[in-house]
Amino acid sequence: MQPAAPLIELEGLSVRLGRREILHRISCRLGGAGGGKTIGLLGPNGAGKSTLIRTLLGFHRPSAGRARILGQDCLKGSREVRARIGYMPETDAFVANMTAVTFLKLLAEISGLPSEAALEKAHEVLYHVGLGEGRYRTLGTYSLGMRQMAKFAQAIVHGPELLILDEPTNGLDPAARRRMLALIREMKESHGMIVLLCSHLLGDVEEVCDEVVILNDGRVVHHANLEEERRANRRFVELEVTGDDRDLARSLREQGAEGVNEGQGRWRVVLPAGVELEALWALLAREKLGVHKLTHRRDSLEEIFLKAVGRLQRTPGEESLVPKGESTLAGL
Amino acid sequence: MPVYRRGYQRYAGPVTAHRHRMLAFPRHAWKRLMEQRLVVLVMLASFFWPLLCAVFVYLSNRADLLQGFDKAFVAFLEVKGRFFLIFMNVQSAAAVILAALAGPGLVAPDLTNNALPLYLSRPVSRFDYVLGRWLVLAALLSPVTWIPGLLLFAIQSGMAGWGWFAANWRLGAGVLLGFAAWILLVSLVALAGSALVRWRIIAGALVLAFFFVLAGAAQIIRQILRTEWSVLMDPGGAMYRIWSSLLGVEAPEGPGALACGLALIAMALLLAWVLERRLRPVEVVS
Repeated sequence: MQPAAPLIELEGLSVRLGRREILHRISCRLGGAGGGKTIGLLGPNGAGKSTLIRTLLGFHRPSAGRARILGQDCLKGSREVRARIGYMPETDAFVANMTAVTFLKLLAEISGLPSEAALEKAHEVLYHVGLGEGRYRTLGTYSLGMRQMAKFAQAIVHGPELLILDEPTNGLDPAARRRMLALIREMKESHGMIVLLCSHLLGDVEEVCDEVVILNDGRVVHHANLEEERRANRRFVELEVTGDDRDLARSLREQGAEGVNEGQGRWRVVLPAGVELEALWALLAREKLGVHKLTHRRDSLEEIFLKAVGRLQRTPGEESLVPKGESTLAGL
Repeated sequence: MPVYRRGYQRYAGPVTAHRHRMLAFPRHAWKRLMEQRLVVLVMLASFFWPLLCAVFVYLSNRADLLQGFDKAFVAFLEVKGRFFLIFMNVQSAAAVILAALAGPGLVAPDLTNNALPLYLSRPVSRFDYVLGRWLVLAALLSPVTWIPGLLLFAIQSGMAGWGWFAANWRLGAGVLLGFAAWILLVSLVALAGSALVRWRIIAGALVLAFFFVLAGAAQIIRQILRTEWSVLMDPGGAMYRIWSSLLGVEAPEGPGALACGLALIAMALLLAWVLERRLRPVEVVS
């Protein structure tokens, strides 16, 4: 069986803008076959996120290497690629004296929809993103939040396979931000779109993304499957117990789990595959220990991000769990 | 089901051919252009001179009405190359004014609020975008330039007979070619002006300035250096010499049609270069 073709494939991609090289020989494969996936693109300011997106769209010509998207070369097959992509840029992008419905109809027609279908889709999408009442207003009269929604609407009006969103929640109030994230999740889950989300807001990425790529200084410094990270994190348990816990380490070993006593009833436990939390509860009950606190360790995206860009050496508390000379558990 | 209850569904129907997608630009732009009263008024006013010329053609072919006039006057009324040259000269000015009014509204609004990335992230190229915008200007300028010009030629041919047509078909071809070149140049100026300046009024002024300031500068150089070659930097003057050559009318002294043609090609290339530099989906600051 052929391996699934990646959604985005970068091979030694370098992009030079003027005299500066923004992306340095990036190589990675993002997303597998099949729809319904969200990939987060993270990085500090100037890391090259927007340049990468624009290169994928064919706006910048690579100075070396190549980029393939949806199985097509970004430059040679740009027309075919663009027909399958919806793009929401970071900055304002509209024609001020055009009504939302006219603007969306025009963009849908440029994407290849026949005139009548384009008009129908424009109305449908504007209602769906919550701009139904204001669809005959000119875009210049829209508030920032409405303009963000209009930008999102134009990105989905032609029903793309891949949705590229550059900072979609910029300038949105909390309610609008929740609505935007819900829409992104809906595009992924209900409409099978693959979403490439570029955001500074780690919370947004963590909330909707399955996979994350971290760029720093024009290089990919980390590529993680958030679902796997979450699954792995479920095996790390932080405990606070009351009572005599001297035999707990031995009991845990009998269950196949590892536990480190941090003192004052605080424990860090690593559960082996196949051992669920219920077994731990039962063990604590047998030991007649009162449970004051039981949480999963959460290697948050912020920690992953800070470690990837070199601003954090290790997850706080990580060192206390691992005796010197043994491998770190953070990689699990 | 009403659209507000339907919810979002990904479009899965047939898609149009590339040509149809590119033509979405002129279709939408034309509608918006015709909503501008001033453009419509100037366009209507531009039909006045062709109507007057049509009356002239009619009169010049009514020998019964011309009996009793002296020969010099009857010769003056004869429809020949100079008649079409004067017609083209007047209509070319109308074309410049129309382009100055309509051109800036085609590109400047897309640049003001950064709409280009939205267009160019779709399956159209920058060339398609410019061609789409150019077609709007070509469609706007055609009814005031080559279409009435050819209509006058057809009326004259119809009234004067086959013999006149056989002897003067070059006039029709000259009108068509001459105006086609003018439309191309004027449209490029309008689009480049609109791409350079994001404020519509200033962009319009820039279009007019391109023709009138260059004409003025050419005149000043001509007076100071006493050379007719300064006409090469005057787009209107250079085009006049090309038209004279096409219509078989004696051209003023100075550079010939070939030199003028080369000068206009250089101008057109410069304008195309401006468009190439300015119409990009993202601005790169080196």
